[in-house]
Amino acid sequence: MCCDIIFRLKGILEFACQLDNPNGAQSQGTISKSFQGLQSKVSSKNIVLTVCNSPVLIWPNTGFQSNVESLTEASSCGDILQYIELDDSGTKKSSKKKDKKKSGPTVVNMKLLFEVTEPAGNEAPSLIRVSTQQHCVKMPLPLDCVLSVTTDESMATVCTGLVEALNKQLADMEEVVLRYRKGSSFLVPQPFHFQLPEPAGFTTVIYPAGVPDSQLQDAREDLHNRFKLPSDRPYLRRANAFHFPDAAYKDGYLRNPHIHLNPPNIEDAKLYLVQGVYSYHHYMQDRVDDDGWGCAYRSLQTICSWFQQQGYVETAVPTHTQIQQALVDVGDKEPRFVGSRQWIGSIEVQAVLNQLLGVTSKIMFVSQGSELTTKGRELANHFQTEGTPVMIGGGVLAHTILGVAWSENTGQIRFLILDPHYTGGEDLQTITDKGWCGWKGPEFWDQNAYYNLCLPQRPKTI
Amino acid sequence: MGRSYFVDETVEEYLVGLQTAPRSCLTGLLAGQSSPQRDFVVLAVQTPHRESEGQPKASRGVSPLDDIDVEWVTEHAKQVSRMLPGGLCILGLFLVTPPELSKDAQNALKRLIFAMDKYITKGRLWELSEEDVTDQVTLHICSKTKKTVCKTFDVKDPKSSAKPADWKYQTGVSSSWPMLTCSVEVDVQIPVSSDITDKCMKDGLRRWTKQIEAAYCLINGRQALDDSELSSGQKKNPKTTHRQTLPARIFVTDEQSELDERSSALVQVCSGSVKVRGVVYCRAYIHNNKPKARHAAQAIKRDIINTVCSRVEMFLEDLLIDEGSHKGLCSGQQALPRRVFAPMPISGLSVCDYMFPDESTADVAERLKEMLDCETPEEDIDTGLEGNQLFSDVSGSEITDSPSDDSSKHVISEVQAENPKNQKAPQYYAAFSSSSGLAANSFSGSRPYSFRKFSTSMAKNSSLRCFVIDMKLPSSSPALYTSRAGRTSSEKRSPAPVAEARIRQNLTVEYSAARQVKQLLRASHPLIPSS
Repeated sequence: MCCDIIFRLKGILEFACQLDNPNGAQSQGTISKSFQGLQSKVSSKNIVLTVCNSPVLIWPNTGFQSNVESLTEASSCGDILQYIELDDSGTKKSSKKKDKKKSGPTVVNMKLLFEVTEPAGNEAPSLIRVSTQQHCVKMPLPLDCVLSVTTDESMATVCTGLVEALNKQLADMEEVVLRYRKGSSFLVPQPFHFQLPEPAGFTTVIYPAGVPDSQLQDAREDLHNRFKLPSDRPYLRRANAFHFPDAAYKDGYLRNPHIHLNPPNIEDAKLYLVQGVYSYHHYMQDRVDDDGWGCAYRSLQTICSWFQQQGYVETAVPTHTQIQQALVDVGDKEPRFVGSRQWIGSIEVQAVLNQLLGVTSKIMFVSQGSELTTKGRELANHFQTEGTPVMIGGGVLAHTILGVAWSENTGQIRFLILDPHYTGGEDLQTITDKGWCGWKGPEFWDQNAYYNLCLPQRPKTI
Repeated sequence: MGRSYFVDETVEEYLVGLQTAPRSCLTGLLAGQSSPQRDFVVLAVQTPHRESEGQPKASRGVSPLDDIDVEWVTEHAKQVSRMLPGGLCILGLFLVTPPELSKDAQNALKRLIFAMDKYITKGRLWELSEEDVTDQVTLHICSKTKKTVCKTFDVKDPKSSAKPADWKYQTGVSSSWPMLTCSVEVDVQIPVSSDITDKCMKDGLRRWTKQIEAAYCLINGRQALDDSELSSGQKKNPKTTHRQTLPARIFVTDEQSELDERSSALVQVCSGSVKVRGVVYCRAYIHNNKPKARHAAQAIKRDIINTVCSRVEMFLEDLLIDEGSHKGLCSGQQALPRRVFAPMPISGLSVCDYMFPDESTADVAERLKEMLDCETPEEDIDTGLEGNQLFSDVSGSEITDSPSDDSSKHVISEVQAENPKNQKAPQYYAAFSSSSGLAANSFSGSRPYSFRKFSTSMAKNSSLRCFVIDMKLPSSSPALYTSRAGRTSSEKRSPAPVAEARIRQNLTVEYSAARQVKQLLRASHPLIPSS
């Protein structure tokens, strides 16, 4: 990304209209008229933008006015950062340092306000009564516009850009509302932001609320064509939406702890890593005490979380019980397996991925741990083409492989391991410092034990 | 450790100057501003005399205390509270009794204060916050010794007992209070089903109220959110009588709570809708004893909500009298009353009133005299703060679905001289019938507050005409008040002879019918004086 700052403007505008006959031909015109009313509202002098956690108020449609004297239309937008009060949580100071290295652009959150004072006219207050039967439709439109810019862009440009984005979003919302309307049933149009490969870049798409991704296939095909996106992997499912750096994940799991690690120092080696986002699942989470037996289950959960967050499935990460039940359902295990503390291996992982997620996996067999050093090419290929986390089971342990550092010339290899045996809390510092997520050498494996690896394959779908 | 009330000297003068008949009691209101630390009283008004119908009131109770008309006192309080700008409210009551009734006065005051608070706060759209003071003050004055006893009751707690409080007189309590002002554009659409009721209007306004309450506020250019003090930019100088005006700006946002997240639109089938639209002028005062900026913001916001709410209430009160049953809702635009301001005696603060399109400053002055017991020269009444009502012609076809040809109407007028001593203006009843039945209104020369809108209600139904006959002079020709397109012309025109004859003929026949109607009306609307 070439930009330094993302301005994100959010606000709710109420869409309201009165339809005499929701199924009549005129209703479309009435709806469009209401949207036009909203568009003129956001272009009016009454709209005010406020920068969250700051005293800054900006009137963008009055030739740029702000209540902070030093912020003028010519000021560079980076100046706005000095007015924002950051949350001082005080925890994880050094991880913040690490974050700074990897963190992307700064997000400036803004809110849309409307001034009701300083009216243009002085219309006397009155009551206007209409007594025809009508359907009164009210719907909150969750506006959410983004503008990514460099810090030296002027405030005037930023504000004009944001107002234009609001207008465009209203037009896009109108299209979606009309397309999915049935009589007087209206679906709320919801914006999603996606970080797409060039030429599309940072794009916002409107989807109708309540319609699952599975039913929006046609819409996505259209968009894939329009944005010149490959047609074999999802880019525009809701789960693929851009995760803003300042937003916390509500479920509390850590995401991609490996990005905070320094890669191993091997001459001539290239990194082949997992693509996309996964959550770290390990012992003792979700109030399940699986210490000593649940490691493969946790690795499986990590893999499921990957498929969910890349948009392939909408189902939640399965619990131990659900995993066990799935194995019973496919006839792999007896019913009494459910609720037990029995271990599972790569074959079971493959079976569950197929049963619950519809995902196929390849199994790689290694007769002894020392052989893993020879699998560099295969693993590198896997991470390059599929990019999914790999579950490895052998000896008495199961782990997740997130990537390899491999030199084609020397054959030297290191493995990026995510260890499900960790029993502590979601403390990134501890996890990275103590190697629960870390780069391991060939000596990490039991040299004499045999290993099975489960390599999940991406479904070819959008 | 009770509350402290700082009371303006003018209030002391007023209370001392009250005349009470021997062995009778006098009630009245106290108004001002409360703050967490102390309270300020800037106005005292005695309860106006209720027009009794010429019959001597038989004493029902053992003592004059039992005769206190609680309903009348509370109605007066409600009307006065509508006349107070933001920041000011009714703080309590006073009661003047002869010495022999002093010991029972506290009980009477307690009854009154709870009844009054309940009535005033009913139907209020905004909620009290935790910081709001819920104590109301009761002041008992002995008519002979002029000694005062001041106590407070926490009206949140029905079981609360009287707590002692300090009552201190001071000069110029409110002379330096800054005044916040703003003009607010209102545009709220309220769907209605079959009837326009108070509940459906209030529900429709509720969302708007929450938006205003949660809105960002700039006072004199500064954000009024946190605990910072309201800086009026002026050092507190008791010598200056200059009152600062602080413009307020309000910015609304539509926050959607996560619980509220809908995936589809809310659709309501309604039989019509009512839109409240226009620009309202708002004013609030804040004390100058280190006020917090957000209290000032709250005062002006509450004024915004109150002024819209009061006007809608007045419209509904009018509708109740006017349209009996709510069949035949008419379409079109109807003016809401315009807000005007007048100076309060001496304290320098202002009070407001609402003027209907057919009224004049004379009417306002009359009401101020009646409600607030103060004389206001008409030229001091500021009518320019809100826009002038312009009427759009209500075309006949839009008005009502019920048949409205004149032939089906009986117009009855009847006069009752209620108080022969009152020569000021003829008192008269005028009645008109609509398709739904008879409705009768009565009012005295100065319109009692509940019936002020008689002429406007006439104005709405432009197909109706009202014939008014002064029964003291039965031979005089009836005055015909026609309403056209919402405007009442008050010139007398001579009616068509046919109509006149019909009136006189009908008069005797329908005199009794009108009486019955009056009884009916009185039962539903207790403030109509009985005859």
